[in-house]
Amino acid sequence: MNARLSYALRRLILTAPVLIATSIFVFLLIRLVPGDPVRSMLGIRATPENIATVRSELGLDRPLPQQYWDWIWGVLHGNLGQDFISHEKITSLLKVSLPVTLELTVLAMLLAVGVGVPVGVLVAARTGWARKVSGGFVIGAISIPDFWLGLMLVLVFTGLLNVLPPSGWVPFTQNPVQNLRYMILPVVTLATGQTAYILRTTRAAMLGTLSEPYISFLRAKGLRERSIVYVHALRNASGPIVTVTGIQFGVLLGGAIVIENLFALPGVGRLIVTAISERNYVVVQAGVLTIACLFIVVNLLTDIVHGLLDPRVEEAVSS
Amino acid sequence: MTAHPVAEVGKAARAPRRRLRTRLGGREGLAGWTIVFILIAVAILAPILAPHSPEAIDGNRILAAPTATHPFGSDDLGRDVLSRVLYAYRVSLGIAVGSVLLAMAVGLPIGVFAGYVGGWTDLILMRLIDLLLSFPALLLAISLIAILGPGSLVALLAIAIIYVPIMARVVRSSVLVVRGQAYVRGARARGASHLSIVRGHVLPNAIGPALVQASVLMAFAIVIEAALSFLGLGSQPPTPELGLMLADGNNYLTQAPWVEIFPGLGIAISVLAFNLIGDGLRRSFDPNGITR
Repeated sequence: MNARLSYALRRLILTAPVLIATSIFVFLLIRLVPGDPVRSMLGIRATPENIATVRSELGLDRPLPQQYWDWIWGVLHGNLGQDFISHEKITSLLKVSLPVTLELTVLAMLLAVGVGVPVGVLVAARTGWARKVSGGFVIGAISIPDFWLGLMLVLVFTGLLNVLPPSGWVPFTQNPVQNLRYMILPVVTLATGQTAYILRTTRAAMLGTLSEPYISFLRAKGLRERSIVYVHALRNASGPIVTVTGIQFGVLLGGAIVIENLFALPGVGRLIVTAISERNYVVVQAGVLTIACLFIVVNLLTDIVHGLLDPRVEEAVSS
Repeated sequence: MTAHPVAEVGKAARAPRRRLRTRLGGREGLAGWTIVFILIAVAILAPILAPHSPEAIDGNRILAAPTATHPFGSDDLGRDVLSRVLYAYRVSLGIAVGSVLLAMAVGLPIGVFAGYVGGWTDLILMRLIDLLLSFPALLLAISLIAILGPGSLVALLAIAIIYVPIMARVVRSSVLVVRGQAYVRGARARGASHLSIVRGHVLPNAIGPALVQASVLMAFAIVIEAALSFLGLGSQPPTPELGLMLADGNNYLTQAPWVEIFPGLGIAISVLAFNLIGDGLRRSFDPNGITR
């Protein structure tokens, strides 16, 4: 357990430079806008006084290192600044939008893992039509753009069958059933491509593991096939599955930006895209920082889980 | 026995050509190449193939259903959807090919350099690459667009930038394998310069995985570009562009589904083609299919 703890700690420390680099990039986001970001934020009707006020509010009149320090100090104390259009605190905007994004992505990932892993395990041991069907599903699901799949699902489930709402959202706390009804199409849309990746990885990893000598040994020992496949082989094949799931979570966070806009879900992705079109850079900055941090946390968790499942990872790191 | 080495030399000279054929081949791969060549032809010949002008507005045909003269129907301004899809391939393929080539032009040298030189150079370069990869790709693209403003060229640049680290990583890992091979050590012992070793031995043997990656990235580039345009962050109206067409038609989805169905199919077919090529190439590099 000690070795595992130190592996987790070391992995945690390795996250620090990534966090710092991310924060610098996000910090520079406003400053890299060509021309005068404040002028393009406020539009042509802005008076020079307005511009000067906003500039000092953002701290753009101070030296760059000082600006970064002030900004990161604020972020670490939960102060992400103010929305220029609604004058709301950005933290309160995120308090509404982050849970939406989390609900969408976590449900999509659960669905993708819940379908992809068992089906991948099942088809790994099979040849013939099962492999062909799963292969066809994989290449199809990877090739169909998720937002178009979403549109087609709306066409079928709203246009033809009229059983699900096309878009919209209510808070889970207000009406759980309605909230889930709104979530079904976005979650299925987002999960389909991920299911394909996870299925493909599971199948490949299981194929590799099932051909190892120790599996033949377990068979010779007379273990039941089910216990060989689900207990022994799956655990050994879990490394790539966990890694790909982690990587795909990043893709999912990106995909959520598009899907939230398609289904009018008030998540962080929608916040970012709306803010870009309004040149509301402070909100863009906060949204990008949120998703990037989420991604870093997911990566960290993925590595730690990978290490727990497969002790060889710890050894590779410590040696 | 003296004939044997000669035969070996002849075989070695023919082998790359045969390998190339199998690499392109496989039923999947060939299907992919065929579709891609057709789509490229469509993009180039769009002015000849398109039955109407992609920007011709027709007030009498607003959201009109498909007919013999307009097989894909008309959009909310009465423009012919088929003609717009044909023209849109110019943007989609142009951006996909452009971004991947740009990413290769930058990522390949970085990967080769890091893998071949090794040591601290490799360590530092790879940590920088890891930093770029620790950012979700689409988010990175969107952030760059937030800075530079929307547009087709910005989308191309943004996609290229998110591809550089991926390309560099893939190339580096195959260079690492090739670098340790006997023929590279032999060439060095023979006194060949590093540059000629890289050009003559390392690159030709390490390029395979990069080509697989390139075709997969091409597929993603089409999706990313369409997604960006769908969000209003890529190509701008009135450019005929597949993602943009989907965004326009979104309001009339149930009323005029053809405005949504055909451009989407257009994206899916091109993405499928590049994925098939990628799968075919991958299979020829890994005949046991373990990595699939």
